[in-house]
Amino acid sequence: MNARRRTFAISKIANTLEFRMLGLAVVLAIALAFVSPHFFTERNLFNILDQSVVLGIVAVGMTLVILTGGIDLSVGSIAGLSGIVLALLLKEFPIPVAIFLAIGGGALIGLVSGVLIAVFGLASFVVTLGVMAIGRSLAYIVSGQRSISGLPMGLQDIVYTTFLGVPANVVFLILLYVVTWAWLTYTKGGRTIYAIGSNIEAARGAGLNTLFYSIFPYVAAGALAATATTFSLAQIMSADPIGGNLLELDAIAAVVIGGASLYGGRGSIFGTLMGVLIMVMIRNGLNLLGVSPFWQGTAIGSIIILALLAERLITWRSRRV
Amino acid sequence: MPDSSRPREPLLEARDIDRVFGGAYALRQARLSLYRNEICGLLGANGAGKSTLSRIICGHLAPTSGQIVFKGEPLAIGSAKEALRSGIALVAQETSLAPDMSVLENIFLPSYAMPGRLSFARLRRKAQSILSELGPNHSLPLDMEVRRLSAAQRQLVEISKALALNADLVIFDEPTASLSPTEVDSLFNVMTRLRNAGKALAFVSHRLEEVFAITDRVTILREGRTVADDLPTAGLTQTDIIRHMVGRDIGNVYHKAPPDGNAGERPVALEVSGLSAPPAVRDVSFFVRKGEILGLGGLVGAGRSKSVEAVFGLRHRAAGKITVGGREISPRTPIAAIRAGIGMVAEDRRAQNIVPDMSVGENLFLAQMGKHRGFGRGEAAKRAQAGELMERLGLPADRMDANLLHFSGGMQQKVIIARWLLTEPEVLILDEPTKGVDIGTRQAIYQLLREVAGRGIAVVIVSSDFEELLGLCERVVVMSDGYTIADLPAARLNEESLTLLAAPRSSAERNTAFLRAIVDRYGGCAFWGLIEEDQLVCLSVVEGDPGAPVGLAAGQIYFLHETSIATALQERSSSVVRERDGRATILMHLSNRRGHDLGWIGVTARQGGTLPDAQALSSAMADLLETPANEEMGS
Repeated sequence: MNARRRTFAISKIANTLEFRMLGLAVVLAIALAFVSPHFFTERNLFNILDQSVVLGIVAVGMTLVILTGGIDLSVGSIAGLSGIVLALLLKEFPIPVAIFLAIGGGALIGLVSGVLIAVFGLASFVVTLGVMAIGRSLAYIVSGQRSISGLPMGLQDIVYTTFLGVPANVVFLILLYVVTWAWLTYTKGGRTIYAIGSNIEAARGAGLNTLFYSIFPYVAAGALAATATTFSLAQIMSADPIGGNLLELDAIAAVVIGGASLYGGRGSIFGTLMGVLIMVMIRNGLNLLGVSPFWQGTAIGSIIILALLAERLITWRSRRV
Repeated sequence: MPDSSRPREPLLEARDIDRVFGGAYALRQARLSLYRNEICGLLGANGAGKSTLSRIICGHLAPTSGQIVFKGEPLAIGSAKEALRSGIALVAQETSLAPDMSVLENIFLPSYAMPGRLSFARLRRKAQSILSELGPNHSLPLDMEVRRLSAAQRQLVEISKALALNADLVIFDEPTASLSPTEVDSLFNVMTRLRNAGKALAFVSHRLEEVFAITDRVTILREGRTVADDLPTAGLTQTDIIRHMVGRDIGNVYHKAPPDGNAGERPVALEVSGLSAPPAVRDVSFFVRKGEILGLGGLVGAGRSKSVEAVFGLRHRAAGKITVGGREISPRTPIAAIRAGIGMVAEDRRAQNIVPDMSVGENLFLAQMGKHRGFGRGEAAKRAQAGELMERLGLPADRMDANLLHFSGGMQQKVIIARWLLTEPEVLILDEPTKGVDIGTRQAIYQLLREVAGRGIAVVIVSSDFEELLGLCERVVVMSDGYTIADLPAARLNEESLTLLAAPRSSAERNTAFLRAIVDRYGGCAFWGLIEEDQLVCLSVVEGDPGAPVGLAAGQIYFLHETSIATALQERSSSVVRERDGRATILMHLSNRRGHDLGWIGVTARQGGTLPDAQALSSAMADLLETPANEEMGS
């Protein structure tokens, strides 16, 4: 009985989309290891994790938004604008204060979107499209259309400090995913996020705080976009007004590859992590193979569509049996 | 009525239909024959396969095996377009309308699939003639978007859509689910007309009284099989049908508890007074005691659901006082109401109660999580209680992780009710608790609600099913057009009196105006009511000047012998009847053109006053009956 239940549980996990995406990630890694001798080196694997940090952080916020049935197109612009703002703040304030203010600014932009969407009932696509345009435009104006460099050297510490050999930004990414997973799974707030995306009427009727948790994901997405920028600035030590361009699309793709439904209510943070790794690995592999950057878009786009098509065909078949 | 000499040549015959969904048989060797000039009831419990069979006949679904013969020729299977072209139309259960398109476009949507050019002018003329065919009172704004129509109007569009196809066979799949008794009556008129025009009709319904009212024959499905084929309705009783549907006798569905002697002394759990939430809710007051089952009755649109939503904090209140257990509350969100001890099972199970992406277990704990004040999910403390509850409801514990949508409507409803029981409410409000639930499960839900009340929880039931209200509730508060107009023990009501009490105010106003006209002319007191055996259900009273106090009040029920005009009420004579104290009363019976009993109109003169001439009164009443408002009210 117990053993049967265990095999049942295993087959259930194996049937989840996240698990299949993990499989895809592994297959992809093995394939890349075969075609490029440089892929499976320690240095490149750390590279991949390192490159996953910015997209990974932004994708967490995007997951929350998509779980409630919304979409946030503004995260790329928020990343760009808060990068510029952070660079300017760093000239005036100590590093922790500047970071705190920049992240707060990102959260504030998200709050404005969230209130417009949840309180006034505007479509998230339209509101965040507007914020996207505004954010990018302000990034150019505030920066004077120039990239800003000469950041304090101490900023690099948040990337180059290591814990047990693991860089701080990767540690942060892992912690963020673990905490978000636990929050989404075990707390009232996390379950409310799912319930809103699945059936907001039922959630409200059952006494869940649907208003607060409809706004919160946008605040989190804004704050996390600014956080991602902070790590990116620490790596390249300069802020560019075009920074974070199209980041929102990569984040949406990662979340969707990870199995979330754009209608809300379905998806998982583990799936998003798989989506992020798949996206970064493909890009990394294409670079290793020396594929022209102009072809990379075609390759990544095709792989995303093929992955989702395969997934849909598998679901169809399992449903028919 | 069907002609007894009609040829027994079916218009449509479906034979040996199998349909498999995900490994399970939804239909197994099902068969159905439909004849011209007949309405055939297609019956069965939930999940028996009625809708599946209807959809197969209309080509919306392909059967796994089986054949359909229509007009003597095999019908191409699984093609909706082919079925439409041969003359088969479906009035769907969940309206299949395009909400953002106009009424006109929706009526002719199937013609978009036909080759050729569309002429909107011609379609418009055709739509008007179809609507006038449906009856003089049905006017639909052809250019209005369907989204803005009422449920009943949408149903009318569905029917027009079927008529526009000039189909020979029309299947009505639970068309009455969202209609009030008035609207059901006019739907039945339309169906009768179609039958008499030589069409074959199939009528799918859960409501047995409707089946008896409209069908000529019935075919009954159970678990996908046809268990009774083509039985003449006239020879059947409700018990026969139920036995076929569930495969056993289920006895009395309601099991009314014996009246509790000290019921009137139990403390009041919820009291609502002067509640207003415009435009639907204008002045609503009611109370419910601990352990009592109170019914909120009325027609669809009377404001019952909106009233309970306002009490539950789902709707903004303009005025009104709500007390729970003696404490006044003013909930602006459901959570405030839940923490004050109210639970509510909303009307639409799928849209308002179930969270489809969550498991049975999570759906069960949802309200508990809402009530819980901590950071976590707040399930641990209730786990044992939940297990016990699920066992009582007959849900295996190892299916807590399954998807709730995979269960029958009845089981879903039980889980939703259990969701609220876990929060240990003082008051449980249920809006249409048995909508779309088959009769076998209904009994289990009634049983559960009785147990809930037995534990001292006050239960409020909103229901459009008057039989259910009267069978289940101890007391019924009747609403009409946003007002509470009567509060009566269920034992003193029956479906007729409830229907009349619930009639829309507009028609009651018309009758009241008539009473007013009489007393203005003659003085005294005029009233409109229903006489049932030894009781008078008083619907409307007008006192003239000078008056003749009779002691009647609208919305009340009196024993005839208790009233001051007992002799007149007992004799029911259209000539003048005098009481011992000298009061004179004249009573006239009121019925509409379809012979439906509308009750009695009475005029009582003060001592020594004059009464209207019986002749004059009856001709004035005849005028009254010709008005459309009464046509509406009478059903």
